[in-house]
Order: sequence, then C-alpha cells, then structure tokens
Amino acid sequence: MSTAENQSDPDPAQKGLISVVPLGRIGEDVLRVVTDSLQGILRLPVDLMPTEPLPPEAFMEPRNQYNAMTIIKHLSNNRPGKTLKVLGVTNKDLCNPILTYVFGEAYLNGAAAVLSCYRLHRVADGDFAPREIFLERAVKVALHEIGHTFNLPHCHSGRCVMRASNTLAELDEKLNYLCDYCEMFLSEAVRDLLEALKKKTEHKKKT
Amino acid sequence: MMFLQGGAGSVMARRHRFMVVDDELIVRESLAAWLEKEGAAVDKAESGEQALALMEQRFYDILFVDIKMPGMGGFGLLEQVKTQFPTTLVVIITAYGTVEHAVQAMRLGANDFLVKPFDPESLGLLVAKLLEHQRLLEESQYLRGEISRCWAGLDQIVGKSPRMVELFDTIGEIATSESSVLILGETGTGKELIARAIHASSKRLGGPFVPINCGAIPESLIESEIFGYEKGSFTGAMRAKKGLIEIAEGGTLFLDEVGEISPKMQVDLLRVLQDKRFFRVGGVESLSADFRLISATHKDLNSQIATGTFRPDFFYRINVITLRVPALRERKEDIPLLANHFLQRFSRETNRHVDSISDKAMDILMNYPWPGNIRELENVVERAVVTSKKRIITPDAFAYLTTEPSASMSSLGPRSLQEAEAAHIRHILDETDWNISHAAKILLVDRTTLHKKIKKYELQHPLNSPEAEPR
Repeated sequence: MSTAENQSDPDPAQKGLISVVPLGRIGEDVLRVVTDSLQGILRLPVDLMPTEPLPPEAFMEPRNQYNAMTIIKHLSNNRPGKTLKVLGVTNKDLCNPILTYVFGEAYLNGAAAVLSCYRLHRVADGDFAPREIFLERAVKVALHEIGHTFNLPHCHSGRCVMRASNTLAELDEKLNYLCDYCEMFLSEAVRDLLEALKKKTEHKKKT
Repeated sequence: MMFLQGGAGSVMARRHRFMVVDDELIVRESLAAWLEKEGAAVDKAESGEQALALMEQRFYDILFVDIKMPGMGGFGLLEQVKTQFPTTLVVIITAYGTVEHAVQAMRLGANDFLVKPFDPESLGLLVAKLLEHQRLLEESQYLRGEISRCWAGLDQIVGKSPRMVELFDTIGEIATSESSVLILGETGTGKELIARAIHASSKRLGGPFVPINCGAIPESLIESEIFGYEKGSFTGAMRAKKGLIEIAEGGTLFLDEVGEISPKMQVDLLRVLQDKRFFRVGGVESLSADFRLISATHKDLNSQIATGTFRPDFFYRINVITLRVPALRERKEDIPLLANHFLQRFSRETNRHVDSISDKAMDILMNYPWPGNIRELENVVERAVVTSKKRIITPDAFAYLTTEPSASMSSLGPRSLQEAEAAHIRHILDETDWNISHAAKILLVDRTTLHKKIKKYELQHPLNSPEAEPR
C-alpha cells in the first residue's frame, strides 16, 4: 500500500478515514491525481488501498456494463477498518438500473462512491482525448462523487465541480474545484464527521 | 440540470417534491438517489395504493410511475392521480416500451413516457421541462385569478343549473339596453357579481362600474357621497369633491341595498333619473348625469311601499327590468361546481395544495340549507382549505355544519337579529325546561334581563304554566 501524504503535518488519528480503492488495473497517474485532489479538497489524509477486483454480481450481462449501485454497496459493506468514505476507481463502463451510463455514482451522505474512467478518454469525434484532459475529467468526477458522500447535492450556480454533468461537454465545462458555498458546506460536513468520530471513540474508551 | 426555482423571474421559490412509484427496490433507490442529488425531496412508494396514501398528505410536483406493479398498477394510479390530484404531473416509466403502452399513457393524461434505462441527459432535460411546464401553469393560474379579481364578466359566474342558465340568457338579452335593472335576491347570492356581469356585457364596458352600498353609508353622508359637494358647502368641505354619480360618468352606477335609502334620497335620485341632471351639494350649476342604474336589494320592496318607507315612483323608475337571483338552496346542483371553484381559488391563493372534496364531504354541503348563500359557502370552503392537513377535504372538515344550532335555526328562516335572538332564547328555555336561572346562566344574562326578553318576545312555556320556574 502506498500512502499519499502531501499534506503538512497530518493528524495520525485521521489516517485511514478516507480511502481510494482501485477496482482492477488503473493507471498510476490517475490514482495519484485523484488521491492528491481528494486530499487537497478534504484537507484530510487519503489512503490509496491495494487493487481489488470488481464484485462479479455487479456485472449486468445484457448491457455488458457494471451496475454502479451494486459496486457502491459492495465498497460500503467491505470498508477496511475505520474508513468512513471510500472511492472506487474502475476502467469499466458503469450504468445503473435506470440510466444507460454514468461517469460516477454515489448516494447523498453515503459511505462509498465510484468513478469510471471508461468514457472519460473520448472526444466528440470518437478519438482519444489528450492525457491531461482525461486526468482532469477523472479528478472532476472523483471530487463530484465524494462531494455527494458528504451530502452535497448538485450545485446550480456557476461552474462548480458539484454541478451536474451528463455529457463530456458538460464535464469539461466545469471547474475542478468547489464554489465558495459548496466548499463551506463540505468543510462543515467534514468537521461534523470528525466530531462524531471523536465522540464515538471517547464513548468506546469509557465503556 | 437546474430544478430549483428562484430569483426574480419565478412565481415562488420552493423545493420540489417528487415520488418514485415502483415495486422494484433497486429502481426506486436509483431514481430517488438521482433526483435527491438535484436537491429535490423524494418519497418512494412500492404500490399505487401506497402512493395515493402519501399523496393525501403532501403535494408532489412529479410522480414517476412504473406500469407493471401488483395491485392497481401504473395506469390505475395514473387515472386516480389525474382525477384526485390534477396539478401533479405524472411520468410513466417502463422497461417494456411498446407503442400501445405509450398511447394508453398519453390518453390517460400522462405528461411523459420513459423507457428504462434512460439516457441521463434526457432524464435531466425531461424533469427540467416538466418543472418549467408546471411553473407556467402556476403562473397562468395566478394571473387568471388576478384578472378575474380585477374584472368579473359573465364567464366568472359559476352555475349550470336551469335557474342560472335562464338568468344568464336574460342578462345577455338586457345587457345592451340602457334600462334600469333591479336585482332581487337573498344576501350572499352574488347580486353585485350579476351587476358587474351586466356592465361587462354592456356597451358601457369602457366606462367605470361604481358600486355604492347604501346600507353602509351613514344617512348624513350619503347625499354628499352620491352627489358630491362644492367647496365651502358645509363645515369641513375644504375643496369641491366629485360625487359617485359623476365618477360613474359613461359607466354603471350600482346601488346595493337600495331598500336602505331614505325617502328624501329617493326623491333626489328620482329627479336625477328623470332629468339626467343633478346639482352637487351647495352647488348652483346643474351637471349632466350619464350612467346606467343597476340596483339590488334582499328586501321586499313591495311591502316597504305598503308601509310607506319606499316611494312607488322611485320603485317603478329603478325597476324597469327585474332579475331574481336564486338562493343557493334553490340551485343545489351548482353546489359542487361552486365548491370546487372556491377550492381551487383558495388553494391557489393560500398556496396550500388541496385538490378535491371527497364525495361524503360534498354530501354534507349538498344537504346544508345555506342561509348565507354563496358567501357562506365561500367562507366554509376557505376555512376547510386553510385548516386542511390533507390534499382531499374529508367530511370532518364540514362536521360543524351538521351540528351548529345556527344551521337549523337559519333554515327556519329568522332573518333579523331580533328574530334570531327570540328563537335562540326559546331554544335555550326549552332545553332547560324553562328553568329561568339555568337558562340565564347559559345565556350569560341575569334573570331580570331574561324575564324582560321573554316578555318582549312574548315567549310562553309550552304548557302555559308560569309556575314552572322553581324557587
């Protein structure tokens, strides 16, 4: 396991709370930029976990795609140790029971999110996008989905990364960071989560 | 995709509420999760029956309904929603997208039809389109209400009963004439609305409609209100003022409660109607009067003529055409129409999503005698809308109509305050078996007052035994 730690003097107690899990073979550069970006936005250490296979029950044979909801449930139920939020990263094409495809998926306030790189390589004429554009897209989807797990809904102002994006054009239009409001809500959510964790730990020690 | 409305251009800013109705848990969860991320509140139901129960409690902007479900099924639910909650939009979703299904859905009033799985972009566009459609509907309803408040024509009068249809026909025939009209009808039957409709259908539509409630203006002021006054004509007349006759120039003057006008004022008005000219109070110059007169009263003017309180010559002048507005109890078939009309209006005005009145609740309205006529019905429906916690008004909202003593008392016909007082005292005395002390306690008066009232109204014990009062 390699751990991304570019944050100054992280609290050791906060280690292992947020994890990135590669689901199958994923480029090192993707995992690095995603992990670094999450660490930057959450201001918490983010652990890069060993590669895991995709849960086989997530495969939807008639659609030749993986069900993102099933993957989220699998990640959520198999979180290591004290991990509070986990982001899965896959190269496979994702969908859900009602949508033909998704770039990523997460429940509001859920414990897990998933990002698919499958459609992020492309450009309008079917060619491959330059690597830096692809990486930026991956970062945007990762931030967006992890934002949902901290209860951030879609943002309706400006080009905030929490704005909904159903197409690559909409994804490219967004910025790769949060607007002031979403950043404020995220900070509050992270603070609340840490406080709840602290209380839980103290309660455990007492009992 | 932007679902939340707000800002200067929107009618109101509020959080949208959706419901996903599907027997498959995974579909409910997926669609609900997608909608929640848009900032909407989302409820889930696994059957049509459960969905209807939820709808009775809350207003939903859009329902996403699967066709194939156990129980009533998607189409059954669609029919119920369109009947009971017509303002809620319905999107039918199905995994089996046949043309027959799509046609049937549209025929039953579905607002759109989606085949699972959907393209994420099209789902976003669809929801945004439907919400915009609903916003425009709300806006148009609001504007229609504003316009109808500003101006009430014939089409604003609700009624399909034979008596009302006959009245509408008569209004259509007489509207273009210049003859004076006398509208007769009980209090609360909508006499002013009829007068406004005549004005709206007449060639004087471009002129003003000036209503005067003759019973509401003190005797000492009515002359200066109607005829206006010149500067210095009396203490306090600092400047000249136009009277209502002048203000009605080219339009219609509506004298409501004309039976309340004093004999002196009747003479003055009679002169105006004959000469088409008048003087302001304290004025020396005769001014021309160009208005059409419409009068209304709930009183029996013939008996007032017999007692000498109403001048026959004035009566004949104002009574060229007579219209009788039926009491609500005489056109009971209009009650559901009127009740639903008021329901929609108050639901819109109070921003409470109350969609309908249940059949049993409507039965109560149908069986009530409505002594206060349409005005009373209007108040009863407003009260029900304001206090309703559900989307359908149930019988308990009108329960008081079946028990309030005023209801049974009113049906007997007391109209004056004195008649009502006498009837109420008799009721309490009968209830207490003519125990004066007990009755006085209930009536919150002392025994002397009660004795005086008994004497005044000549009330007698049914057995004619004055000794009935225990000492």
